[in-house]
Amino acid sequence: MRDNSPPRAPSSSTSHGSPSRWPIMVTEGDQPVRSSVHVAPLSINKDRSRGSSNASSHRRNLSSRASNMTGDSRSSQSQITPPATPNGSQEDLRQHIEPQQPVFHNFLRAFYPFQPTYAISDTTVTLPLNEGDVILVHSIHTNGWADGTLLVSGARGWLPTNYCEAYEPESMKNLLKALLNFWDLLRSPMTRDSELFSNQEFMRGIIAGVRYLLERSNCLTRECNLVQSNDGLRKNRKVLLSDLSSLVKTAKRLQEYTAVDHPQTNEDEINNTIDEMILKAFKIVTRGVRFLDVLEDDIRSRQQPVHRVMATVAEEVYNPPTPPADSTSFEGTQQVDPAYDAASRRSSSHSSGSCLSTVYEQTKRQSQSYKRMSSTFPINSTSRPLSIARPASAHVKRQSISHRLSASIPAAQRQNLVSEKLNASHDLFLSHLASFIGRLQLQSQSSAELIWSVRQTVTAGREMLLVVEVICAHDLQSAEALDPARNTMYNRINKLVNAARDIITASGMEEEDVVMPQQNGRLSMAATDCVKAAGECVSKTKSVIERIGDFEFEPQVEGLGIDIASIGVSSVEETKPSTVEPAPQEPTFQDPTPLEPASRPPPPPLVIPSYEKPLPEVPLGSPPIVEDTIARLSPGGLEPVIEHETVAIPSVDTKENSMLPPIPKMSSPLLTQDDYSPSEQSIEGDFQPSFRARSIAISNAGTSSTYLSSMRDSESSMISQTSTRATSPDNSVYVPRNQPSISDLSVSGSQSTLADDADEGESKMLEKTYAHELLHNKEGQITGGTLPALVERLTTHDSTPDSMFVSTFYLTFRLFATPVELAKALVDRFDYVAESPHIAGPVRLRVYNIFKGWLESHWRDLSDHEALVVIEPFAQDKLGRVLPAAGKRVLELAQKVSSHEGPLVPRLVSSMGKTSTSISQYIPADTPLPPAVMSKSQIALLKNWKMGGSNPTILDFDPLELARQLTIKEMNIFCAILPEELLGSEWTKRSGSNAVNVRAMSTLSTDLSNLVADTILQYDDAKKRAVIIKHWIKIAHKCLELNNYDSLMAIICSLNSSTIVRLKRTWDAVSVKRRDMLKGLQAIVEPDKNYAVLRRRLHDHVPPCLPFVGTYLTDLTFVDAGNPSTKQLPGLGDSEGMSVINFDKHTRTAKIIGELQRFQIPYRLTEIPELQEWIQAQIVRVKSTSEIENVQQYYRKSLLLEPREITHPKPSPIDAQNGWNTAQKDKFDIFAWTHSRDKERSGSVSATPI
Amino acid sequence: MSRTSQRRDYHIVVLGAGGVGKSCLTAQFVQNVWIESYDPTIEDSYRKQIEVDGRQCMLEILDTAGTEQFTAMRELYMKTGQGFLLVFSITSQSSLAELAELREQIIRIKDDENVPIVIVGNKSDLEEDRVVTRQRAFTISQSWGNAPYYETSARQRANVDEVFIDLCRQIIRKDNTTMPSFDDEVVHHRREGRRPHRTRRKKRDRGCTIL
Repeated sequence: MRDNSPPRAPSSSTSHGSPSRWPIMVTEGDQPVRSSVHVAPLSINKDRSRGSSNASSHRRNLSSRASNMTGDSRSSQSQITPPATPNGSQEDLRQHIEPQQPVFHNFLRAFYPFQPTYAISDTTVTLPLNEGDVILVHSIHTNGWADGTLLVSGARGWLPTNYCEAYEPESMKNLLKALLNFWDLLRSPMTRDSELFSNQEFMRGIIAGVRYLLERSNCLTRECNLVQSNDGLRKNRKVLLSDLSSLVKTAKRLQEYTAVDHPQTNEDEINNTIDEMILKAFKIVTRGVRFLDVLEDDIRSRQQPVHRVMATVAEEVYNPPTPPADSTSFEGTQQVDPAYDAASRRSSSHSSGSCLSTVYEQTKRQSQSYKRMSSTFPINSTSRPLSIARPASAHVKRQSISHRLSASIPAAQRQNLVSEKLNASHDLFLSHLASFIGRLQLQSQSSAELIWSVRQTVTAGREMLLVVEVICAHDLQSAEALDPARNTMYNRINKLVNAARDIITASGMEEEDVVMPQQNGRLSMAATDCVKAAGECVSKTKSVIERIGDFEFEPQVEGLGIDIASIGVSSVEETKPSTVEPAPQEPTFQDPTPLEPASRPPPPPLVIPSYEKPLPEVPLGSPPIVEDTIARLSPGGLEPVIEHETVAIPSVDTKENSMLPPIPKMSSPLLTQDDYSPSEQSIEGDFQPSFRARSIAISNAGTSSTYLSSMRDSESSMISQTSTRATSPDNSVYVPRNQPSISDLSVSGSQSTLADDADEGESKMLEKTYAHELLHNKEGQITGGTLPALVERLTTHDSTPDSMFVSTFYLTFRLFATPVELAKALVDRFDYVAESPHIAGPVRLRVYNIFKGWLESHWRDLSDHEALVVIEPFAQDKLGRVLPAAGKRVLELAQKVSSHEGPLVPRLVSSMGKTSTSISQYIPADTPLPPAVMSKSQIALLKNWKMGGSNPTILDFDPLELARQLTIKEMNIFCAILPEELLGSEWTKRSGSNAVNVRAMSTLSTDLSNLVADTILQYDDAKKRAVIIKHWIKIAHKCLELNNYDSLMAIICSLNSSTIVRLKRTWDAVSVKRRDMLKGLQAIVEPDKNYAVLRRRLHDHVPPCLPFVGTYLTDLTFVDAGNPSTKQLPGLGDSEGMSVINFDKHTRTAKIIGELQRFQIPYRLTEIPELQEWIQAQIVRVKSTSEIENVQQYYRKSLLLEPREITHPKPSPIDAQNGWNTAQKDKFDIFAWTHSRDKERSGSVSATPI
Repeated sequence: MSRTSQRRDYHIVVLGAGGVGKSCLTAQFVQNVWIESYDPTIEDSYRKQIEVDGRQCMLEILDTAGTEQFTAMRELYMKTGQGFLLVFSITSQSSLAELAELREQIIRIKDDENVPIVIVGNKSDLEEDRVVTRQRAFTISQSWGNAPYYETSARQRANVDEVFIDLCRQIIRKDNTTMPSFDDEVVHHRREGRRPHRTRRKKRDRGCTIL
């Protein structure tokens, strides 16, 4: 382990020579080879002298990790030894926050940059920190190192906590919390469950968090003063929203993957999407952090316009101005994610590759182990080539503001290696394919959309092939080896193009410009083939690179002749007349794909036209090239519709940037205005991407982007009514420029409409919501929330609420809210959704539906009547105004409920747990009823009894028939049990209980037990008693065969009671066989281990079945007793969260009731009225005395029949206790028998005989 | 102690009228404070391991809460129990009165006067609603074979563990008395001072059966 010894990490010795008192000063030369490596840290070795011994330990580490990390990476993390305490000198300790804080903070923020001086080993461990970076902390080692994930990059590693401080500002609280949940949820293995994805619950928290942030900072709407007055704030706000929108889209994509259950969407793809989402969520938080920083700066600058003096000011000299939280955002915030995404995909798709480079090998392992967070390359890898290619002038500014970028020149050079190039282009290709396949899952898309996405994909594929070509050209030998794979890939891409062309041509014939999903089969096949081919091609290429060695990438090969231009161009033209007018504000097109360095010649023949567009070397400020849409649509012109979309992207325009008002330079190391990346400013443009907007504009819902795609599918009519999108007024202000350098940002389809969404985000994403007042468990079920939050969940606009949630709510709401409160909350929901007009339609409809369902099927007039004073005016007024028919209906219902007994629209006995098919499923209606086992003589016997003749005994009837009639009798009551009888321990109320049927069940059960005892004890002859016992055992056995566990329980209880069990002589006369049978039956109803045997039997039991009701009653009682009625929302840090309804408790209650209801299906058995009558008569006879007296009577009788063997009757000690009234004393007298031994007890109790 | 290492299972039955807070008492005891959500439908819902006088005891608790009306079933519960918590509410005279019957039934079924029993007056947090005086409850518990009397508040988790530990200790002691090899004096001296002192019961032969 010596070689593994952790570093003494940032100690003052390492910073020797630095004027700083800080532990480490990082100079550019000290930059790690890789600026960030997304690897679980193992250990680091900073001691250069030990470098040689590193190799072996490194290998060991790797292998141990490989085995370690296959499971939950988080748990294995904990086994990894973090580096030693970061602070080597006492001085440091005093200067900063305590490295080991008593409170675990989930988020830290670096207030000082940390750059591990020594090149990070392959098993990279430490996270370089920039000042202002925010870190999600997973664990903190006692030595002060924290295992955390850097939000800005998604990189995970060890970081020194003494460089950081807790980050939990109040206004970020909800967003940070949401991120934690998001992380937990998406990283948990259980979330593969497609149900979770489809309900999108995890998204709400993030959205609500952003809303909360904006609300707190008074920046909720674009029109807010603060937003208007502070440019930086406005821009940050905008970027924040567009990132949010991007995440929402990705989430939707995930939803589509899982909803459609497409064969192509394998787990990897889902995982990749999840990775992407996590990164996007990180990004949003990063944006939020920055937004808040600007806000604070703004506030501060108002108070104190001069330089601030902060604790860290002393260091400013040494600090290059550091971009606060997200330095990488300069380089294509959007693009980063697909790169990650693809990185992991690549690694998995290449599992066959045998001789990959070591780096790659390692990468692969990492990404496998990380599965959901695999990102192995520096985040800027994909974007880097471009920035390099760009004229240096364009770079200057960035370098001055971005510490990370400026420092990572070596890394940049590396980017240009073919291997890197190959990886990057492969990533890109795959991400396009993924988004392409994702699009196919949409219900429909316009042909233009299809063309656009095919084009993007093909362009990316070409990119990759180009790289392969370069390699082939570099080494002719390898060309041969690569040829087959390359050709396959080429063919596959062509196939994809052809498929797309056919479809578009076909759909062009029809009136509608819509490609239906059923047509997409071939496309997605082709796309999947592409994925495969690309994987093979890349792995082959890699092995070639391995052999010939990496080299600088110099594109020299002509592009391939993939003809995508020909795809249905004409059809596009016909069907898209609306795209013709070029919007004045339409930005110049951007090349949608990452371009190779400028030196690459434009690809020849059927190259994607975009390649002919100005390439990066176009000087800044060159006149924007605005293309006429028509020209682009012309058949020969290979016009990419794409351009329109991609413009929307944060086209970083340095010029634009320079146009901004000069920002006073702050001395603070914290965020200053000029830290903003230009990209964020350029996103400002409110342009409507003409393409998309128009293509959908037909339906007036045009502005709704994919964000609301599900809504569009299901509720398009609502949307078109309510769509109130403002057309962007300020477009002209931001004239987007041709800025090729950033064009590579628009790599993924999901991001291309960003500007669109940024705009929509204003109204759409920031709807007023209580989502932050909702609690979920890992499965995404709601476990708590305030009433408004629960009501909101009940009336979501974008998904059908979970049926279990709705029925639970209806069933249990009276336990946590009064009917008036619920009605008011629903009305509130109806009102406040007006703030978000785009969702108001569906939400209001849902509010109406909830009222309707309540009144129709869940109304309990006794308690709910008072709510009518809220409901009726609402229906008349507010609802009636918006939805007249609905208002009328609710009003009608409200007037009816008071006069109507029972539900207006009878629900099934069960609204939960039972499906309508269950009866037919288990008991086919045409099955003949089993014939009754009744002879004529038996009927005659009963008739005789009815006429006043002698009373038959149970022995006169067949055990099976008795069991059946008992079952019918009990089942009738059981089926009548209403769910409300089971709520709030209603059945245990001593008086006035409404749980009549539950009560009847327990009464009948007890009566049956008494009947058993009665019939046995009626004979003086032990042999006769034994015969009765045997008969009851047989009846009990038949009950079991009928799955009547309730009667079984009652009979067994009686046979097992002390009254009967003690009849030794009687039992001696019962055969061993019958006694064994009884033992078997006893074992089933044994209460041991919480009725483990019985529960196991009832689990998954199919009806018809009569379960023992007692277990449900006990369960319900304990759910009530064992779960508090409220929960605390988690607070961040020390803060206490608010208290909300513990909905989990009610869900559990509803689940148990649902279980019971599952069995509320009558048996198909023939009732024999005569026998029923006789049984009832027997029960009534037994009932004549009270229950307690019965028990005593029977016991006394038992003692008479077979007296105790010990004969020292003594006065009962009870009588000595003068505690009770005399009646009770008398009652207990009869037990004198039993206490014969009391006198033996020590003299402490004075036995006073009566 | 010779047997500290081996874990023993003990069956405890909680009895009492409906509404006295039995279930809360049991749930409070069984639940660990950090359990976020209590699911009573699983096998382990009513099991808890505790340490009594240095030995590990697994308590399996049978609580009839919710099924009080199934009077015929009581004996089924009682049969399995080795020790009994008889719970009443200090706010209800009748709930105390009902215990007498339950105790009789227990003694009858167990055929044992000295079956371990603890009397529990629950809802001690509702002092203002008290109708059963401490003195009275204590007197009754004394008359019931010197059964220890506790007042608990399930809601405030006061004395909850104590009643179970006391009962468990009684069961252990009883075990020991039937195993002459073990000196029960050792255990006897461990008893907490706060409990009413009880004279030791005679050892008795449990061989008798009513079968």
